[in-house]
Amino acid sequence: MSDQMVEIRWHARGGQGAKTAAIFVAEAVLDKGKFGQGFPEYGPERRGAPVRGYTRISDIPIRRHCSIENPDVVIILDPTLIQSTAAAVTVGTRPETIFLVNTTENPAEIRKRLRVNGNPVHTVDATGIALDSFGKSIPNMPMIGALLKVVELMTIEELQNSLAARFKEKFSQAVIDGNLTAVARAHEELMSE
Amino acid sequence: MSLKTAHEIAEAGIITEAGNAEEYKTGDWRTFVPQFVEENCIHCMFCWIWCPDSAIEIDTSGEKPLVTGIVLDHCKGCGICAHECPPAKKGKSALVMVREEK
Repeated sequence: MSDQMVEIRWHARGGQGAKTAAIFVAEAVLDKGKFGQGFPEYGPERRGAPVRGYTRISDIPIRRHCSIENPDVVIILDPTLIQSTAAAVTVGTRPETIFLVNTTENPAEIRKRLRVNGNPVHTVDATGIALDSFGKSIPNMPMIGALLKVVELMTIEELQNSLAARFKEKFSQAVIDGNLTAVARAHEELMSE
Repeated sequence: MSLKTAHEIAEAGIITEAGNAEEYKTGDWRTFVPQFVEENCIHCMFCWIWCPDSAIEIDTSGEKPLVTGIVLDHCKGCGICAHECPPAKKGKSALVMVREEK
């Protein structure tokens, strides 16, 4: 991780909200006066297809616009993608690349499945938290809550304010409240190794 | 399905064998998975009719067809079977959706 720029790569399935999350994080840091860039990369455009999202966050203007080949953080929203050769979650990672996985398993087990040595691995049951909080299997917002524990981009309150402001026109208050609690819970329940 | 050489494949890659969708394993990701509770099943075949992915396994060797289980290679975890199950309306569902641990 360079001092100035953080590059995050999201791996998910269509419908889990990786694209929304990738752009959301980039937009949320704009409020703090940082520079952010978020964009998705799709294969087949259907629910369940493996998708990638990219987020760049920097203290200085970002001149790089390519997809992220050597991420500082890899976020996996669907653990079945670990085995997928098409998703290739570990490609281009460095020994210090942080892995953040949505799973019910513990970090040690996920490290084995990822076949990485030494990399920090963090897990959280974001799908379970999403189902409890707002009844839908969309783990993107709890994953952002967990991400903030791993990388200090902003405080959890700043994220919640940003979330409430940006979701206001699109979702009902009940959905927003559910997401706000989900974000806080994922931040608390993150398991690290 | 064994691999074929180029001259064994029909023109324009047309698939001539019937029923080859069964060979194509698609159910490798889902949030919920149905669990078959045999003692509650009345073998009405509603789940078999409703299932969009032919994931309900049945035994047709007897006089009446019997539900025997779920083919997880095809199940997407949509939950239609559990929703349509008539015993479920009496609170004793033969198909219960549970969170899949992974």
